[in-house]
Amino acid sequence: MTDKVFEGIKIVEFAWVAVGPQTSKYLADHGATVVRVESHTHFDLFRGTSPFPQNKPGIDRSMFYGKYNADKYHATLNLNHPTGRDIALRFIQWADILTESFRPGTMNRWQLDYATVSKIKPKLIYFSTSMQGQTGPSKNYAGVGSLIAALSGFGEISGWPDRMPSPPYGAYSDYFCQRFAATMLIAALERRRRTGKGMWIEQSQLETSVYFNAPLVMDYAANGRVATRNGNRLPNAAPHGVYPCAGDDRWVAIAVLSEEQWTAFCGVTGMNAYQVEFKTLSDRKQNEDKLDELVCRWTAGRDAFEIERLMQTAGVPCNAVEKNADLLEDEQLKQRNFYVRLNHPQIGEAAFQQQADFILSKTPREVSRPSPCMGEHNEYVYKELLGMTDDELAECIASGCITTELPPAARFSANL
Amino acid sequence: MYRNTNSPIISPYRILDLTEGGCMIGGRILADLGADVIKIEPPAGSLSRIAPFYHDKPDPEKSLYWFAYNLNKRGITLDISRNEGREIFKKLASTADVVIESFEHGVMQQYGLGYEDLVKTQPDIILTSIAFFGQSGPKAKFKGSDLTTWASGGFLFICGEPDRAPTWIGFPQASLHAGSEAATGTMTALWHRLNTGEGQQVGVSMQECVVACTFNTPEMWDLNRVEFKRFSQGMNIGTGGVRTTHVYQCKDGYVLMVMQGGVEPFVSSLRALITWMAEDGMAEDWLKEMDWAADYDASKLTQEKVDRVEAAVARFLLTRTKQDLYDNGALKRRILLAPMGTAKDLCENEQLKARDFWMQVEHPELGDTLQYPGSFVKVDGKGMTTGYRAPLLGEHNAEIYREIGLSADGLDSLKQSGVV
Repeated sequence: MTDKVFEGIKIVEFAWVAVGPQTSKYLADHGATVVRVESHTHFDLFRGTSPFPQNKPGIDRSMFYGKYNADKYHATLNLNHPTGRDIALRFIQWADILTESFRPGTMNRWQLDYATVSKIKPKLIYFSTSMQGQTGPSKNYAGVGSLIAALSGFGEISGWPDRMPSPPYGAYSDYFCQRFAATMLIAALERRRRTGKGMWIEQSQLETSVYFNAPLVMDYAANGRVATRNGNRLPNAAPHGVYPCAGDDRWVAIAVLSEEQWTAFCGVTGMNAYQVEFKTLSDRKQNEDKLDELVCRWTAGRDAFEIERLMQTAGVPCNAVEKNADLLEDEQLKQRNFYVRLNHPQIGEAAFQQQADFILSKTPREVSRPSPCMGEHNEYVYKELLGMTDDELAECIASGCITTELPPAARFSANL
Repeated sequence: MYRNTNSPIISPYRILDLTEGGCMIGGRILADLGADVIKIEPPAGSLSRIAPFYHDKPDPEKSLYWFAYNLNKRGITLDISRNEGREIFKKLASTADVVIESFEHGVMQQYGLGYEDLVKTQPDIILTSIAFFGQSGPKAKFKGSDLTTWASGGFLFICGEPDRAPTWIGFPQASLHAGSEAATGTMTALWHRLNTGEGQQVGVSMQECVVACTFNTPEMWDLNRVEFKRFSQGMNIGTGGVRTTHVYQCKDGYVLMVMQGGVEPFVSSLRALITWMAEDGMAEDWLKEMDWAADYDASKLTQEKVDRVEAAVARFLLTRTKQDLYDNGALKRRILLAPMGTAKDLCENEQLKARDFWMQVEHPELGDTLQYPGSFVKVDGKGMTTGYRAPLLGEHNAEIYREIGLSADGLDSLKQSGVV
């Protein structure tokens, strides 16, 4: 039996919402010990984000929070409390990696910034992620992933040319920034193993975003072209689109990428591959509106999954557009154990998603514990991991440094 | 010789990169970190030397797409579909730490270059395979493309206009997700190998990469059996069962605006926005009196309330330009908004300039220096890479084949037979 890949790696997580927690979850799902640190005075935005079971909000009831925090431990700590910093430093002494995603300058205010803590612990790997970076005129920009996705150009290029932009749903940039960040954490571990040196990894989510449309930015810089939206089309393929099927809001995506696939596509649909308007790719591009109309006529009234089966059998790239209900039942995802059903004390049984979208053949990803409730592991974390005595722990709780409930005047609010 | 970046982060692991399309970004990331990444393409040239082209001249040596995702790699040509090519590939693999590939499922095995074959030449090799549906499961052999994978991963369904087909992002993204995920998987496997000496196969599923983008919508179904209906420019407030609008027209374009309530940073943002509107005489009393923490809590929202607020905000936004809203709204007042940026806006962005983000890379063959996105993170306050332009076709054949003991004559004869 092989140990898990990151067995023994310790992460203290001050980061919240999406990018930071996803980044550390790659390591948590592969065996690292990750402790999320939050307080009842300042807790994760996603604790107020739907879905909640029976649609009833509660601080430990958000499955969106659950999605990015399974396999982690949880301890409460109020960093604004006079002794909060001392406890934070004990976490830092314990940890290999620290993650944070506060507004730039916040960690400095607590004297927990990299320059300060690296003097205390030079080997620490310190990951800061923010909207636009820790420096520069826009460092105080307040935002979420949907805004960074818009700013970095993904909205402008999404949707129909005759309509306003239709940006990707949700917080798109939150779903690639974490991939770069997790790679960096492991790279930093590798360097530290060789050199003994810690590292400050500083991510501006705006900067990372430009990697996902770099050729478009270079196209503007070199050629002055400003890319814009064009439905579901691709310059060197036709047909290439999303077509209506039988049923309620059912669609199928088809991409014919070669002449061979065009012939196969025509074999399935009964279209004439050699008719003069569609014979070559450039014919099909010239008459793409008409071609799409004919494809729609063929797909409409047919079942999306049946079309997928027919096209795949013929060797044409094609998939039904899966609804959320389909994802949870998708045989492929099931066999790869992508969703793991676990029982959460407040949420009940729910499907927890793997963080890694890869499987290592000898040391596979594994989601084994549901997301933690606020302070669920205070005893374990403070006594077993940080070595506090019973008295110390009791004192911290009595003083309010380790929080156990919402402040008297506060009210739990849902934001989404 | 292998050229290292200024301050390499990781050891110069030798990585053989057989990927195409967006998947090439994985090798690019690892090359930026300091790995010795060798891009291998067929003798006729990679199919990923595609548009956009430098000065719009369709020439495989002027592909900006190729440039962007192969920076800092070396490049050789090799036809691994032929026996001689495979033997040479095995020799190369015996000097390598990692092979990354994005062929259709099963192609590497067909070539006799599957994991079981490669371990015979290099016992601790890591083989990172990117496929539309990963290496196992009933759909593993499916044909795919960026668009069809976008569909199978569920993200397509939730994006676009309600009265038309769902729409993707106009620049193919799925393979970029999978490529960058492959870098994470490769590093994970390398860490394991460092600790145990054991190599393995890493199977990346592009479908799963797409599912990861779906925000909270699969969980909405799983927990409460609420199926998402796309509605283009907004956000579904699940708790209140209402929909908010995100995209607004302003004086000279579009702006994305997040208006939620209940907690920070949303409450402050709405307060600042209404104060600003009031300064222009564009906020009526009911709007000024709204308690954004209590009345705009997600569970207290009604569609009527949201529509009324948004209509007032929409009128205000029409009076201002993108730049004004960004400078005076987002940056000065910390209102949660962003102009709908374009490639041009990004190139002119003051913050990116101030942080010295852009990187100038020399292209002697073009007699020009091109602007690239710089380091994707900063390390100890600095960008971590300088850029060495992507390899020309077969540029490093001589030096790399020499390294594995091929004579100049041997290389010539391989060239003549078209293997290299």
